Amino acid sequence: MDNNALIRRIIRSKETYMLLLPGVIWFAIFAYIPMYGLTLAFKTYKANLGIFGSPWIGFENFKYVFRDPAFMESVWRTIWINLGRIVFTFPVPIILALLLNELRMQRYKKTVQTIFTFPHFLSWIIVASVLINFLDMQGMVNGVIRLLGGDPVNFLGNTTIFRPLLYITDNWKNAGWTMIIYLAAISGIDTEQYESAQLDGASRLQTMWYITLPGIMNTIVVILILATGYIMTAGFDQIFNISNAATAKAGEILDIYIYRITFQSAADFSFSTAVSLFRSIVNFVLLLLADRICKMLGSEGLFPPIRRSARK
Amino acid sequence: MAEVRTIPETSGQTVRRKRPLHGVEPLDIVIAIILGVFALLIVIPFINVLAISFVTQQEYLKTSILLFPKEWTLENYKQMFIDGRIWTGYRTTTILLLVGVPINLFLTTSMAYGLSRPDYPFKRFFIFFVVLTMMFNGGIIPMYLLMKQLHLINSLWSVVLVYGINAFYLIIMMNYFANLPIALSESAKLDGAGEWTILLRIILPLSMPIMATMTLFYAVDRWNEWFNAMIFIRKGNLTVLQLALRSIVIDSQISQQLNVSNIQTDKQFTEGMKMAAVIASMLPIMCVFPLLQRHFVKGMLIGAIKA
Repeated sequence: MDNNALIRRIIRSKETYMLLLPGVIWFAIFAYIPMYGLTLAFKTYKANLGIFGSPWIGFENFKYVFRDPAFMESVWRTIWINLGRIVFTFPVPIILALLLNELRMQRYKKTVQTIFTFPHFLSWIIVASVLINFLDMQGMVNGVIRLLGGDPVNFLGNTTIFRPLLYITDNWKNAGWTMIIYLAAISGIDTEQYESAQLDGASRLQTMWYITLPGIMNTIVVILILATGYIMTAGFDQIFNISNAATAKAGEILDIYIYRITFQSAADFSFSTAVSLFRSIVNFVLLLLADRICKMLGSEGLFPPIRRSARK
Repeated sequence: MAEVRTIPETSGQTVRRKRPLHGVEPLDIVIAIILGVFALLIVIPFINVLAISFVTQQEYLKTSILLFPKEWTLENYKQMFIDGRIWTGYRTTTILLLVGVPINLFLTTSMAYGLSRPDYPFKRFFIFFVVLTMMFNGGIIPMYLLMKQLHLINSLWSVVLVYGINAFYLIIMMNYFANLPIALSESAKLDGAGEWTILLRIILPLSMPIMATMTLFYAVDRWNEWFNAMIFIRKGNLTVLQLALRSIVIDSQISQQLNVSNIQTDKQFTEGMKMAAVIASMLPIMCVFPLLQRHFVKGMLIGAIKA
């Protein structure tokens, strides 16, 4: 393009740039400077020199990172815990949505749906407080167990119960919200399909299996891929508040490891940043892959439909 | 972080609108029971918390299956206010909300509107500039060091500024603006109005639903804020509400777990006070919940995963 024409167009759009300016400044300071700050992974941090001035040392930090057994352990633990999430929490909202959609009592349906979505809006601190009260040794669940003559179970301080506890509490908080996404997808299914199925004499379970489920398959795949994309990062808020001294080790995922080495012990910021960079890169690659796979399968990808409006 | 926020259409009626409604079949009963059990599993822990917050110590020690206190007392709430941590939390979080949300709305709205404008050089670059931050971020350590260099550690401004724009909300809003008829702004432009005037006088009055949704989302996020506050603020008198609750409920539980066999040895009735604190911290969310609910029942599917 002719340079003068471009400059003229830029000048004509100056007001649009003024609109963008506050946001762009914010992103530059609070997203891009920290991004640049990841270069600390290749430096040795000197407090008086700051992020920009600290001297470069190459891959030195990474040598120590990969030599730290706690690091590799936390990486694998993160992957296993979050793969478990895909098995034990991913299907629950789908089942809930299918069942709720089948329910004919409208009033009951509304009530149930309202209850399901409520915990999503609470922080993990509140949810953990509620559930700890419910599940601890003096809690109501153990009260019922005692009443039935059983021995109380230490749900919160037991490393073998810890992972199931994560999956159960995850479902408790979020299944209802994700269900809403599936319900929206179900409401987009063509009603004619249901009518013709009914004419053919299909039972309700058959229509659920052969029409509703395939009808939301796209959404299911996207959410599955999304969950895979967040496999390195999911769960900090939850584990940080649900775990305690007894289960700390069982719950030390990568993000918690980073938090522990940075903010609880004598911090070596360059070392922590090296771990952090590793995490960000793996995460980025996973998300990019997930996004590509979604698009290959014909969905719009992980991110809201930007292209359409960008083309306008 | 990057979570898919949907505002979907949830009226189940549209799906089977044309199907004649038969009576209730056995299948309905089975489904109703399954869903009912799940709903009870969600509701009962809350009722338990509510009951404990109003119960006397004597009654609490008698039974741990508490859903409805025989004798109601406000003693626990009094204890909670005497303790004071919840007050500090309320004060800090309210300030955070009053300062933070307007900043969120200003930054998000102006940038979303700017991005939604039909044609200007480097538009794609600016969109990429935003999207990249959704996929790659520096994480907490560079952010902490940045706040340190800006001398914002132990200042509420760190928590206000660190969450200025949520890229997901920004794109939702951008799509909303992009779908408004272009003629609106074009004709105003012919009359000589600048972009800011158009945004304030013409676009915003038409965008009240999305503005309300964004206000709610940002307000809920701010209310639930704790992680950044935990990292950036070490001063006790600036503790945010969630962390105040954490120090009351979870920290004491963590120390309890260390000696597993201990059975309610404390003389003081702290359990009731803790649960009163839980109720106090979720009360505002409960109050706006009907609104939150209405906003996603409204029938617009924005920024969602579309099948």
